[in-house]
Order: sequence, then C-alpha cells, then structure tokens
Amino acid sequence: MKKILILLLFLALPSVSLYAATDAPKGIIKITPRMAPPLSLENMDGNKFTLSTKNRRWAFVHFWASWCGPCRREMPTIQSLIQDMSKDNIDFFIVNTAESEDTIFNFLGAVAPEVNTLLDRDGLTTELWKPRGLPSTYLVDPNGQIQYVVIGGQDWHKPLYQNFLKQLSTAKTQDQEK
Amino acid sequence: MNSLLLHTKYPSTFLLLICALTISSAQAAPKRHVFKNPEIKMVVIPRTAQQMAAFYEGREFPINAINATRDACFFTIGIHNKSQSILKLNTNNWTFTTATETLSLLSRAHWIQRWKKLNLPQRFQSTFRWTLLPNQLDFQPDEHEGGNITLARINTPFTLTARFAKEMNSNAKPLIITFKNLRCAEDPAP
Repeated sequence: MKKILILLLFLALPSVSLYAATDAPKGIIKITPRMAPPLSLENMDGNKFTLSTKNRRWAFVHFWASWCGPCRREMPTIQSLIQDMSKDNIDFFIVNTAESEDTIFNFLGAVAPEVNTLLDRDGLTTELWKPRGLPSTYLVDPNGQIQYVVIGGQDWHKPLYQNFLKQLSTAKTQDQEK
Repeated sequence: MNSLLLHTKYPSTFLLLICALTISSAQAAPKRHVFKNPEIKMVVIPRTAQQMAAFYEGREFPINAINATRDACFFTIGIHNKSQSILKLNTNNWTFTTATETLSLLSRAHWIQRWKKLNLPQRFQSTFRWTLLPNQLDFQPDEHEGGNITLARINTPFTLTARFAKEMNSNAKPLIITFKNLRCAEDPAP
C-alpha cells in the first residue's frame, strides 16, 4: 500500500511542476488549453510584434479600447505590471481594438503613457481571439496555448497578480520538461 | 457621473456604456429597471436615440451610420452572476412580447447587413459589435458583463422574459427574469 502511495505521489509531482501557479487569483480562470489565434500587429511607431509559439516565454495578451470604462482604470495597473516584470520571462501584447491613432494617443497619454500598444486597426485580430468583452486578457503558455482567461479588469499592480504571473513565467512547460 | 457609482460592479462593456451615455445626455434619464436576487443582478436601461448618437459620434462614426442607429431601440443590459455556478446566457431564449405580438431582437447579422449597405469601415463595425451584449456567454461565478441589445422602434410597452440555464445541473430549472412595461426611450422634446 505504501509503495502505491509513493508511486502515486511520484506520478503526481510532474503535473504540479508544470504551470505550477495553479491557484489563480480571483478573476483569472484556468481553461482547457487551446491554441492561441494568430497575432501580428504594429505598434504606433510601425514596428511589428508577433506572438510566436517558439519563443518559449509566456505571453500576456490584453485587448482594450478607450471607450471602455474599466480599461481606463486598468491600464495604469498594466503599465505598472509591465515595468515591474520587465526582467521576467513574459511578453506583453497590449492590443487596442479598432480605434484611431489620435484616440489611442490621447487616451494613453492621459492614463498610461509608457504602454506600448499594438494597433488592431480593423478589429479583425480581436475578432479572432473572441474576447468575452473589453477589457479582456489571455495568458498564453510558451507553446502558444491559451491557459488562462482573465475576466474583466484587474488590479495588476497588486502582489497577488504579479506573484501569480512570476510563478507562471518560471514554471517549466511540458516541452521543456521532456 | 454619480450614477456611475451604482454600477462600479460592472467592469466591462456595460460600465463604459453607462459612463459614456451618462455623460453624453445627462438631461435625459430613462427609467432604469433592476432585478436582484441571491443568484443574479440584472439591469435594463433604455437609451434614447440622442444618447446612442452621442456615444457613436464620440467614437468618430460617420453620420450615415449614426443615423442608422436612430431607427433602433437600444437597451443597455448589465448582468452579474452572483451565484457559485455558471449561468448560461443565450439571447435566443429571451422573449419580447407586447399585448398583441412577439418582437425580435435586431441580430448581429442584421447590423452586419446594414453596415455593408452603408460601406461602414471595418473598424466601426468592430466597435459596434463590441458594444452589443454577447448572444451567448457562460457567466462564470461573480462575472459581470454587459452591452446593448437592439430592437426595431416600437411605441407600445412590452415585456422581456430573460432565461438563463444553469450548468451545474442540466435538469435544474432555468432562471427566469421578467421585466414588464419596458419602453423604447424617446428623445426629450426640443
């Protein structure tokens, strides 16, 4: 019996180490993993950013619009998050949904001037991701699988959320385990 | 802006609509309809044509698209799943009835056709879609979402019967919420 228990414990260990941050804070929901839709967009300076399935880093993919009240509250906390996690193993893709550069510039200038947003000019990339609403955030693992969705706006500057993301960014993926 | 305080629990599209629409037309205050029980809070707010026009003008919509919204009757819906189980929204299970007839929601397909005829640029179509209530959504425990629903303008009062299935037990009775005496909001007289 004891051997069986030890064996079970041994078998359970790898699944604990994969994506070790299993206790997601409120509002972050673990989903059945699915492949992230393509994301390749330019920022306001014309530089293209592409979500790659080969970069072996986690990605924080966030969709927003200036007309979205919660986005206004949340964006400064995302700015803090990006700054605080600049040395962590995570990429940030902040995507504006279908607004003009003037609107985006005015909005970000007022609430989060350091955020480097990508422009989904026609809104079609956002459509592919099918957010529940705006704002909407996805956490994509290094293999390009969406592992978590985030419901509504969150206080990303809180340690609860940052610690969770730090745990994710240091957890090994199944591919890395092999 | 004070009316915003009533809705700080709606962290999605709903709040933005409340915010923008409240600012754009503080003069008109259509009646707000609220249903609350331990499982759900649902708010229905009629919107005047002026309110909607101001909202979309603020988003730089062309005038022909703004005029198209004037033909429709808009309601902003806010839903908060207060239960610990998933509530399934499917607006196909909602009914809108007057004393003599059943009304239909103006579907997303309807709006797509409308925008195509007007050659509305894709980015405005996208924005418009995001301001609509999703047709289907599994509301997670404590999730708040919202958005607009649209019907053809009508002068008579009607009843909305909203049904939400519960995921925990497929045999469980659906949650049924009724809002009586809803009316399309009219612009204030000039």
